[in-house]
Amino acid sequence: MNIAFLSRQNLFFSVQRRRNRGLNGLYIVVGLFLLAYAMLFPGLLGISGFSKFTQNWFPLALVTMAQALLMLNGGISLAIGPLVSLGAVIAATTMGGPLGPIGGLLAVAASGLLVGALIGVIVAQLRLPAIIVTLAGSFIIGGIALIILPRPGGFIPDWLSNLLAGNGPVAFGLLVLLLVCWKLFLATPLGLGIYAVGDNPVGAFRSGVPVDRVRVTAFALSGLLTALVGLFVAAQTGSGDPVIGTPFTLNSIAGAVLGGVGFLGGKGTMRGAICGSLLLSVMINVMFFLGFSPVTQYVAQGLIILAAVAIPELTSQWSRKP
Amino acid sequence: MEQKAVSILKTALRNPPLLTLLLVALVWLAASLTLRGFGAYGHLRYLLELSAVIGIVAAGQTLVILMGGIDLSVGAIITVTAILLPLLSPSADPTGLSGLAIALAIATGIGFLNGAGAAYLRVPPIIMTLAMATFLQGLLVIVAGGSAVSVTNAAVLWLGQARPLGVPSGVMLWIAVSAVVLVIIHRTPLGARLLALGANPLASRLSGINVTRSMLVLYAMSGFFAGLAGILILGMNRQGYVGIGEPYLLTSIAAVVLGGTSILGGRGTYAGTIPGAILLVTTTALITVVNASPGWRSIMFGSLILALLLISGREGRR
Repeated sequence: MNIAFLSRQNLFFSVQRRRNRGLNGLYIVVGLFLLAYAMLFPGLLGISGFSKFTQNWFPLALVTMAQALLMLNGGISLAIGPLVSLGAVIAATTMGGPLGPIGGLLAVAASGLLVGALIGVIVAQLRLPAIIVTLAGSFIIGGIALIILPRPGGFIPDWLSNLLAGNGPVAFGLLVLLLVCWKLFLATPLGLGIYAVGDNPVGAFRSGVPVDRVRVTAFALSGLLTALVGLFVAAQTGSGDPVIGTPFTLNSIAGAVLGGVGFLGGKGTMRGAICGSLLLSVMINVMFFLGFSPVTQYVAQGLIILAAVAIPELTSQWSRKP
Repeated sequence: MEQKAVSILKTALRNPPLLTLLLVALVWLAASLTLRGFGAYGHLRYLLELSAVIGIVAAGQTLVILMGGIDLSVGAIITVTAILLPLLSPSADPTGLSGLAIALAIATGIGFLNGAGAAYLRVPPIIMTLAMATFLQGLLVIVAGGSAVSVTNAAVLWLGQARPLGVPSGVMLWIAVSAVVLVIIHRTPLGARLLALGANPLASRLSGINVTRSMLVLYAMSGFFAGLAGILILGMNRQGYVGIGEPYLLTSIAAVVLGGTSILGGRGTYAGTIPGAILLVTTTALITVVNASPGWRSIMFGSLILALLLISGREGRR
């Protein structure tokens, strides 16, 4: 098929098809898990059950988005967990102060943007590998969180906790809103640049994409998302905890990779990443309902992650071989 | 004379391993002059003993990273060996060598499985080893039940405690491991293959390199070295518990990168990882000396890694 003969519409759909390839298996697995969960726990279909489920999934979905955003342009962050903790402790310490809840929200957002942009500048301008810069950054950010709030505590207004983690599907609404924003962002030159820079940095640079600016933007937006997850987690638990984010680092990578986002950049989709995080989240819920002990949950989780990544790869290998 | 000094400096700047080594020498010199007790033979020997553990884990990590992969299961493998070894050592064998062999075989087997997953199932190495680590974590709690196990194995205790000729046996083990790994990387066909694979996987496959076999061998070796480090830690601690290996995962990667090896593979050498490991341990020791809260200590550690990275770990300009 010659690309010159494709109309714009066909080109769009062929790109989308290529991006969706390999994700069909994931969609099926997620669907089966959701079905199993709905059968085990029929309350899922009610408003309250649905809200609770999406609230558990929401933080993981957001950190996975933050991680996927970086991986799409060839970066990665090992500082996701500590940055969630930082967001949580800033929220818990500022909201009761003179700034009030709005000021607290702004403080969390600003600190996330700032930390993300700083990491982005170091990676882009000094040409250091992202994985090791964020590894060093995770110690620094974790340390700052410990200094701000050495032990769990702080204050989150009740109405905020009830709004975000109450009986309404607010979290799900926010997630939909975020996905719409992501689609809009992808339509801007900067958003397109994220894929371009991840796929081929040199080519992108020669075509006039401001490579460094795209990288810094990606890191800044990812930092913003991550810090806001901290705010949500703080509202969920009603207090700030300086180490609450730790598991999010590896889970965000697992979610993104399950969703087909590649490590070398330019490969993968945000819907895949969201689906990957949904799989992780549903999996844990289903195993909980089946009465698996936490220990067997680890074993099963390892096996399911492997299967979800390996099976699409194997089937595509077999279908290529006649 | 001055020109010669400048040229030496220039060579050093272009040679990351040498640069890292110079950095270690500088830090040790400065610390010995300013801190009382730092330069004592006993203290330096202790630092080397701690570096040996990181250095041995990082040996496998260097090999895997050079090939363009990464091994996130080394922490879990260390824990597995440290917990299983006391349980597996048969009491009929007074030397404890058979227990050692069994534990190393298990560690190598886990590494081999990592390689098989990456090679046959085409799972990205980072997710394969991560899944393996999650899997092992669950398995361990089932086996050990969350309690610490003490070791009585004679060979393990000798490895962790003995000092033949005044040098800790762990450090001797590290020297042996270093020699073997350096020979593998720079003097064997396997070394040439793994550097080629890291530099350009497609081209090396097209030139007839057996990618599957190289992956199996290298991940198995990474598992073996992690197991060896696990045994050494067990000997030094006299106890194994769940989570004993966790701190060594990120430090092993940091040691490799500080030694100037590219995280993307294809470029670097174990000769850089050796001073990288010593540098990390020294940094941690210096931070412990400064009386600071855990938060500040963590900040200092991160900033120092970042600063060291600026000096030694830069990717080449495009």
